[in-house]
Amino acid sequence: MIRMAVQLLILILLLGAAPLLAGSLLARPGTREGRNPVLCWVSGQMLLWAGFQIICVPLILAWQQDNFRQLCLLFGIFTTAVPLAALAVLLWRRRRGTAAASVERADRGKDTAAMVLWLVVLALLILQQVLAAVLAYEEGDDAYYVGVAAVTERSNTMYQTLAYTGSPTEFDARHGLAPFPVWIAFLSRLTGIHAATMSQIVLPVVLIAMAYSCFYLIGKRLVGDRRRGLPLFLLFIEVLVIFGGQSLYTAENFLLVRTAQGKAVLANIIIPFLFFLLFLLAEKLQNGENPDFRYWLTVGMTMASGCLCSVQGALMACLLLGAGGLCTAVCYRRWRVLFPVAVCCIVPAGFVFLYLLLA
Amino acid sequence: MWTDIVTIFQKYMGSGFVMIWFLAALIYLFLNEKQKPRRILLVYLPVIMLVLYFNPLFAAVFCKMVGSEIYFRICWLMPVIIVIAYAAVCIQARLAGIKRLLFAGAAVVLIGVSGKLVYSNPLYGRAENIYHVPQSVVEICDAIVVPGREVMAVFPSELFLYVRQYEPTVCMPYNREVFAGYYDPLYYAMEGQTADLEELVPFARERSCHYIILQEEKEILGNPQDFGWELFGKTEGYVIYRDTMVPLIIP
Repeated sequence: MIRMAVQLLILILLLGAAPLLAGSLLARPGTREGRNPVLCWVSGQMLLWAGFQIICVPLILAWQQDNFRQLCLLFGIFTTAVPLAALAVLLWRRRRGTAAASVERADRGKDTAAMVLWLVVLALLILQQVLAAVLAYEEGDDAYYVGVAAVTERSNTMYQTLAYTGSPTEFDARHGLAPFPVWIAFLSRLTGIHAATMSQIVLPVVLIAMAYSCFYLIGKRLVGDRRRGLPLFLLFIEVLVIFGGQSLYTAENFLLVRTAQGKAVLANIIIPFLFFLLFLLAEKLQNGENPDFRYWLTVGMTMASGCLCSVQGALMACLLLGAGGLCTAVCYRRWRVLFPVAVCCIVPAGFVFLYLLLA
Repeated sequence: MWTDIVTIFQKYMGSGFVMIWFLAALIYLFLNEKQKPRRILLVYLPVIMLVLYFNPLFAAVFCKMVGSEIYFRICWLMPVIIVIAYAAVCIQARLAGIKRLLFAGAAVVLIGVSGKLVYSNPLYGRAENIYHVPQSVVEICDAIVVPGREVMAVFPSELFLYVRQYEPTVCMPYNREVFAGYYDPLYYAMEGQTADLEELVPFARERSCHYIILQEEKEILGNPQDFGWELFGKTEGYVIYRDTMVPLIIP
């Protein structure tokens, strides 16, 4: 019982508090966005995933024994230092009074219909999380991805053993450059929860919530000004996801069936969050503002997180940001935007190049 | 290449109804959405992605770089459900009174009818444990695992994909490729109607299998003890044999 409580506490720290605090580093202080915990949580996770990718891939390429142990040490330091630094910055801002810059919230009064809609949205979310935990899907790819997480956690090496058989293997660029299962192994090592349980129960619950958080952020920008608009938007999204089984290839199907696989995270968290960031960019240009450094840092971290999910993720993130950035630049005749867009594509383009070189 | 692109798209969209709603929503937003940022993200960008997807030159380059089997993932760059949901909210907002409620209800029903419940997939089943692997795998692995070393075991096809998810110290003599038609004599000997020990034992021994797991109801041709196999244990539906001719040094 005590062990479970400790595991739960570590999970809350790793998957809740750490990204939430890390995200506050990327948020603009004193603004409504900066005070949005959902945005902080998602963007903070992007920062941590990007850090994981940057630390993990060189260690995999170094091809040493015990490289997973080194990763746990280095990423453990990173995942502790970043939230602590964020906490220090928050306290410093509070002292200076900048964090307290209040954002007026209009008192809109009670709306029973909106409350009912929110309750339905919440109930459907919980239903999906519960079903993810209690239903098992015969997913052949799990034999590889969950296998990699379990082997990594147990053997202290990364991608040096074939997940299917346990025999030694050569470097596999397609999987080795996108080590999302190693992140699962890291969580498993720190919490003491079996990698299979982490992949099939813990992470689906968290990642489904994070995917809907991205849709929530998008919906807030699109229909946030309408009282019942946002819960209705999310309700439609949830119904589209739950009934998204018209083919095995839809992103919605991936969200519910292969939740803790990198490609599902790419389709349902990274890509929607990039959409949200592109929407923010267009809104800022519409208002005559220039996106600040924090904004571009968040975009860059999201792009690097895409590389963690899959090698194609790097390519697709570049495509989306490139097309979206170009489209926005053309529509607003703001060509200078293209420079930071290109800079944000450097990391994923580098991974694609590395993949082509090593594959 | 064009035929491949269309075939992949057909596979991606399934029945195609959701894609029809997506295209209808795109047209609706093109005609009605006035705000530039929304037009960019919800109209222009999806159209660019559609054009890109159906561009044979782009498809050829993409498939050459990362393989054609994952080309469908380009469709993920089209915000299908965001566009449909947003258009539905916009239409609903233009209505008044009871029509709003009726429209919202009708939209939910229409989405449900157009798509397919993900959970209706027959591959879904109630999880037997917190690892989401068959309970037999847990019981067999717990029985055969040796602390401090790896063991080699051959499992029936319905179990072997789960084994290393649960217990990575249990090694497998073959991998998933056998499902794709890759010929492995041990796999074929294991998956035959009967377990012919004359055939199975040499292949298993050649791969240094310490343990052989067979379905309980499977007919065995030959006496296992005559071939050096001893009954190690039984779980629900499966029998575990230990091949005594394959040394297993316990550290």
